[in-house]
Amino acid sequence: MKRVCAVVSFVILVMGCLALAQPCAAAEAVKLNLLERYTSPERTAFIKDVVKTFEAAHPNITINVISPPFDQAEAKLNMMINAKEPLDIVEISNLTIKQFVNNGLLENLESRIASWPDAKSWLPLTFSAARFVDNTAYLMPEFYFIKALFMRTDVLKKLGVDTVPTTMQQLYDLSKKITKPAANQYGFAFRGKGNPYRTSDYMILADLPNVDPKNVYRTTDGKLVFEHSQFVKSLKAYIELFKTAVPPDGINWGFSEQVNAFASGVAPLLIQDPDTVALVDRQIGRDKYTVVPMPLGISGKTYLDYGFGGLAIPSYSTNKDAAWEFMKLFSAPKQNAELCKKYGPLPTHAVTYKEDPYFSTGVYKAWAVEMNTPDKYTFVRFPTDSPVFPGWAQVQQQSMQATLLGQITAEEAAAKWAGYWK
Amino acid sequence: MGSGKVLILFFYLAFAVMPLYWIIITSLKDIKEIYTFPLLYFPSQLGLESYRKLFSFAKFGIYFRNSLLVSALAATGALIVCLISGFGLSRYRLKRSKKAILLGLYFTQMVPGFLLMIPLFTMLSRLRLTDSLGALIAVYGMTVAFGTIMSKSFFDRIPVSLEEAALIDGCNTLQALYHVILPVSLPAVVAILSFEFVGFWNELFLAVMLLSTDTNMTVPVALNSFISKSGVEWDVLSAGLVVALLPTMILFAIGQKFIIAGLTEGSVKG
Amino acid sequence: MLMPALLLLALRIYLPVVQSIALAFRQYNLLNLSNTGFNGLANFRAVILDPNADFLRILLNTFVWVAGSLILQFVLGFTLALLLCKPFPGRGLYASCVFYPWAVSGFAIGLVWSWLFNGQFGLVNDVLMRLGFLAHPIGFLSNPRFAMMSVIVANVWYGIPFFGIMLLAALQSVPRELYESAEVEGAGKIRQLFSVTIPCVLPVIVSTTLLRMMWIMNFPDIIYGMTDGGPVNSTTTLAIQMINRTYLEFNYGQGAAIGVIIMAIQFTYAFIYLSVSSRSEIEL
Repeated sequence: MKRVCAVVSFVILVMGCLALAQPCAAAEAVKLNLLERYTSPERTAFIKDVVKTFEAAHPNITINVISPPFDQAEAKLNMMINAKEPLDIVEISNLTIKQFVNNGLLENLESRIASWPDAKSWLPLTFSAARFVDNTAYLMPEFYFIKALFMRTDVLKKLGVDTVPTTMQQLYDLSKKITKPAANQYGFAFRGKGNPYRTSDYMILADLPNVDPKNVYRTTDGKLVFEHSQFVKSLKAYIELFKTAVPPDGINWGFSEQVNAFASGVAPLLIQDPDTVALVDRQIGRDKYTVVPMPLGISGKTYLDYGFGGLAIPSYSTNKDAAWEFMKLFSAPKQNAELCKKYGPLPTHAVTYKEDPYFSTGVYKAWAVEMNTPDKYTFVRFPTDSPVFPGWAQVQQQSMQATLLGQITAEEAAAKWAGYWK
Repeated sequence: MGSGKVLILFFYLAFAVMPLYWIIITSLKDIKEIYTFPLLYFPSQLGLESYRKLFSFAKFGIYFRNSLLVSALAATGALIVCLISGFGLSRYRLKRSKKAILLGLYFTQMVPGFLLMIPLFTMLSRLRLTDSLGALIAVYGMTVAFGTIMSKSFFDRIPVSLEEAALIDGCNTLQALYHVILPVSLPAVVAILSFEFVGFWNELFLAVMLLSTDTNMTVPVALNSFISKSGVEWDVLSAGLVVALLPTMILFAIGQKFIIAGLTEGSVKG
Repeated sequence: MLMPALLLLALRIYLPVVQSIALAFRQYNLLNLSNTGFNGLANFRAVILDPNADFLRILLNTFVWVAGSLILQFVLGFTLALLLCKPFPGRGLYASCVFYPWAVSGFAIGLVWSWLFNGQFGLVNDVLMRLGFLAHPIGFLSNPRFAMMSVIVANVWYGIPFFGIMLLAALQSVPRELYESAEVEGAGKIRQLFSVTIPCVLPVIVSTTLLRMMWIMNFPDIIYGMTDGGPVNSTTTLAIQMINRTYLEFNYGQGAAIGVIIMAIQFTYAFIYLSVSSRSEIEL
């Protein structure tokens, strides 16, 4: 019995010490907590530099940068914000912002943005991104992930290819042409695992003429894309691509494997986001590859998802004004351009594309074209509002794999997907 | 030693070491040689660039120190509780409640940790115990079920007569445990301590959820942060894995001496 | 003497578990937290009858995953422990090298082994082809027939040291005299194994196999790192499905329901296992 009391007292003592160890908030000093979601070591270093600049200009504010590893960041964000842990600036992804708004966890930033001069230089796309949910600005977009086509110029040259595919059909044909399995040469760096829908669906839907920009899985007349007469044909072409230009192992290729296939030359054609540029630069060097805009479908158009991340303020934060001060600095054209140069994705200010040669020439030119040719490149959204959206990634992955392996037919797959979204 | 035995031992070793060889080689390769095809078993040059990057850019030293502190303290604390409880459970007389307690201990292992995370985090958040290494040590240290179950099963094989002799001589139960039983069960104690340490050393999910401030992070969290949206940074990650393996390998190396030592002397005379 | 342990566990596990179990019977989807009422067995029904995730398949996968990994690890680990019982030159160094897999971080195992099993750049394919066993590389992780085998191999690699070390420690307490008297009675090595060794280390065998079974069932890191549950759900187990529901789909209610199913299966198994094994134990 005495022992029990001793143990219990000890435990309580320890917990008490820990509780007391929390620093008291001084009267004027403000401590902000910033939570990253698209964590990467290089980017965190950049954010900390900006924080240093900010703290020097605002001596009474300190910012604690919380950088959970990318794989767990979303879970940690969820847990912290739902438990109302002290957070003042959070990074939100376009794929999950809906639930935070639904639960009233984010601050409405419309009035703040209205009085922010730098908002004038935002791209129209940036305003759409900011107002992604309920047409109200709940976050400050920081960068875009938009797909384009990466090509290994050196490998293709060696294989005697000097054309650039401008349509999906040309891309498929080129991939098949250069494939020689005996020499371990394949065409396309396939994405088989880990949210493959973000690549496959766009490649297939490019052939449809009237996809609804508000919901990529519906056409402008309200019907589901899976029931469109062209869908099954395009799906079959995609399956054909897998069978003739991708090694069978490709069905299990996640991000690392597809980029590795590209970097090693095994598959010299890759569809990926701009942050892959920095990675591929490190692995093979800028001189060995180039980037071109996404190929167009039969319709003469192609559809692009504009994935983005942005900063938001939790509704329960007690330091909203200080948080907004930092966000203004971080989202200013200069800092935004720097961030995107270091981290890779696309900046949010129109002025950056016009004045900064980094983003208007070289490999980034492909994206500049995509952003500025609306009749060919239409930006569309995933139906993130739908309650069945979170489950779609797994369902699509497993059923697409079944289709690629021939376990179900393309028609069955299309019917299954139509049934899911009804 | 028969050649059959040698062959089998060789296969065990080859199977175990193959991935380690791969990790070590990758950590020593130049970054451009990591992603080549065909595979490079013997890179053209060996360099410590990845390790330099690990300790300067990634400040791995801090996380290493944190993990050492957390794992050592939690493992020692848990071990003490486990040995005492395991002994108590082993010598417990009431059959039915003994089985119930045992089942209850196993129950704690049945709960998927990922599920437990949500209410646990909410609880700790309310107590303002998040983002503190002390809280992490406490939470780790409280996972005493494994050690208790294992201690009990080891103590089950030690005859009661051993401590009865000590008790007659005037020791109380704890003293009997310390002076008589533990020396005889040194292999078990070392084995359990090793596993506790390794378990805490490698624990990722709880550490990520509870810790926020940069300087509080532990080794698995640091290793996992080399994986971002743009893939795995294999150069730093493999270097980090090699460094992270060192304490645990050393622990196993020292530990196995104690585990095997028992054979020559410690046969229990009944 | 047991009080400290039970008290700590109450705080750390039992209390949160009650809340987790309660979640299973509530509607709790992060997408819409305004509606979190008690909804009876709706979560369980949704999980079991989900048209997009064949529940029977998941149960079967879980069974194969657990049974396959456990039996292989145990047999190989026990054999290793027996081999290490008698001294030989370099035994200490050998033991340190062969036991290290348990020390590798969980997530890293999946990562490393998925590279080793890669159909294009993988070491396993390369070695097998060089040794002449294979003519063409196999897609270990992309072929539904091989995927489960491959993740089990990675799990076995990881788990052998656990049994090796624990059983080696247990073997130390087997009294020499029992072996000697068995030999005098003319029992061969195999006979000795079954009549002397195993009964003596039985408590440790029971606890290690039961614990490891639960850990294998509950930890999806290896499968996640290697196949993400695929291809075509061939490696999706209950734990994977639970993670999907909880952390990818934010449906805590359904995730908790799967958790309750997992716990129920394990509890039943543990109850039967402990009852059966306690009958053959000398005390208890």
